[in-house]
Amino acid sequence: MKQAYLGIDVGSISTKGVIIDDGNNILSSEYIWTEGAPIDAVKRLVGLLEKQFDKREYKIVSTGTTGSARKLVGAILGATMVKNEITAHAVGTTAFYPDVRTILEIGGQDSKIILVENGVAVDYAMNTLCAAGTGAFLSSQAKRLGIEIEDIGDIALRSEHPASIAARCTVFAESDLVHKIQMGYQKEDIIAGVCNAVVANYLNNVGKGKRIVSPVVFQGGVSKNRGVVAAFEKALGCKVTVDPNGHLMGAIGAAILAKNSSIRKDFDFAVEDMDFRIREAACGKCSNNCEIICVYRDGKLIDSWGNRCERGSVNIP
Amino acid sequence: MTKTKEVISPKKVAFPRYAEYNAPIRYLLENGVGVKCVLPPRLTHRSLEIGAKYSPDFVCTPFKILLGNMIEAIEAGADTLVMVYGLCKLGYYGELQEQILRDLGFDFDFVNLTEYNTGKIKDLFKAAKYLNPKAKFRKVVKALLEAVKMAEYIDAVTAEYYKSCGFETEKGSYKKAFETFIADMYAANTKDEIELAYTKVKQAFAGIPTDKPVQPLRVGIVGEFYTAMDQFSNFDVELKLAEMGVEIHRWMNVSNMFIHYPGEKNLNVRVKEYCTYQMGPTSTANIRSAKEYAEQRFDGVIHIKSANCTPEIDVMPVLQNISADYKVPVLYLTYDAQTSDVGLMTRLEAFYDMISMRKKVMH
Repeated sequence: MKQAYLGIDVGSISTKGVIIDDGNNILSSEYIWTEGAPIDAVKRLVGLLEKQFDKREYKIVSTGTTGSARKLVGAILGATMVKNEITAHAVGTTAFYPDVRTILEIGGQDSKIILVENGVAVDYAMNTLCAAGTGAFLSSQAKRLGIEIEDIGDIALRSEHPASIAARCTVFAESDLVHKIQMGYQKEDIIAGVCNAVVANYLNNVGKGKRIVSPVVFQGGVSKNRGVVAAFEKALGCKVTVDPNGHLMGAIGAAILAKNSSIRKDFDFAVEDMDFRIREAACGKCSNNCEIICVYRDGKLIDSWGNRCERGSVNIP
Repeated sequence: MTKTKEVISPKKVAFPRYAEYNAPIRYLLENGVGVKCVLPPRLTHRSLEIGAKYSPDFVCTPFKILLGNMIEAIEAGADTLVMVYGLCKLGYYGELQEQILRDLGFDFDFVNLTEYNTGKIKDLFKAAKYLNPKAKFRKVVKALLEAVKMAEYIDAVTAEYYKSCGFETEKGSYKKAFETFIADMYAANTKDEIELAYTKVKQAFAGIPTDKPVQPLRVGIVGEFYTAMDQFSNFDVELKLAEMGVEIHRWMNVSNMFIHYPGEKNLNVRVKEYCTYQMGPTSTANIRSAKEYAEQRFDGVIHIKSANCTPEIDVMPVLQNISADYKVPVLYLTYDAQTSDVGLMTRLEAFYDMISMRKKVMH
């Protein structure tokens, strides 16, 4: 029986999963919407991955989770590795592109830049107080224009005179955009302008002060948008590589990290039929009022976190 | 506890909590000035919440925390509030905070040290006279010197704590000894008690078994004077990172800034290739520290500030230059009135992963 490794990346917008073998080859992969319900999304995802997976030949011996719901999903799946998305992305990308120097990543709610030297990350930045220039902004503007988010890229590429749209802040960008619509601009010019605005915003905020050196790899959901890729290439003056599996890179990184760690625990696909409940409790032992999260599997407490001190700790039976 | 016979003034004096320096401030007020101190409750989300509620939105986070803690001090029975002064916007804060509290209808006496600060100790003594008309100059100065000693000990112990606690074999040993020390300092009323508490914690620290690699990961902390030092404000970022197995260094503290401060000119000379002018109360010191950490081949530097802290925003481009010249990663953390440390943990874990993987490749 050959060994396989599961990696799952649960983001605010989408949930990604891969199963890889010892050579980092993808055995099965899936990309679905989180739809505000990470537990349901993961159960669905596990079911979909199982269908593509050859259980007679392979056995999943370790599991990694990443993304903003990594802890919750890690508890549910019994993960052997729970890792932040910055490390997961860096590890995943450098496994496939050992020469990469700059990783650009734009997801649904966050965006980051990772600088790499000799195959290891040496510097990174992540957006902090502002979600301008992320996937959420693009999809809300697509909705306003009555365009499917998947079509934005191709429409943007048709534009010959992109409209200039203020990039500093989504609120200003949006009013600028409405103004351009009412002025009678072509839809493709506006869409191309929005793509340029996303890039300008990214480079001015997340990329500020960072030296972007080629080879550049671009990933995250927004990397599927050809309009943004073209805008990046124009702004940076170099080729920007988008891997066909770029949207899965976090999940792949989580799987590789699980593979590289020494902890082994066989994964059971049965989780898709189990019942998971989350209960939130306020500690109340001081005015910090820590929110304590308790995770139950089929009515049994399996994990808890959120307490700042011992007074709020919950005993797991 | 205070010897009550020495307390002449009937005032119940409080000051907003300030990192671990509550003990020396209390010592000076009770044993020097001769007033009864009311220690406001430990900073919690409530302090920040009520502070933020009554503060202008765009003011920096320390303003909000201080204001919230002042309200908690009045609730705890204080009738007189003392507010410190500083070299940035902090100098105006006392005046504004007093006005906000008066508008809210609180009844209290307010001593804004900005109004007494002329650079002469004689004028500051007037504030002591106001708190207690029978305060004696010599007694205040004596207590001040002892309080300064206390602050120096607190800084030395804090430095050792964060440098070593990440390598203890029994989790929590350092924290326990540190907290005992802070409590001892708060209870101390004589020079001997201060010395004893310091000796005690030194022995306690020496007895804690540790397992430290020959070349541990080292990270230097620089940043804004309040947020970089206050555990509540920065979600105890130093302990969080230390516990991952990192040696934490922070030059910035009260004794280095006020007692052993080399002087703006002396500091500036050492960073003149990076900046010509002073940009704020702590900017030159922070740039100098970051450069020193870089020269000593630290694995990383973390820059801490509250949102809207103008002087520290100005420091950031300079740190980017140091980062590029010395190839040292710098993590920039901005704190606002957020209540969750999840985003911070993501960044810290990633920073730790990055510097540890990098160290492995370099060696």
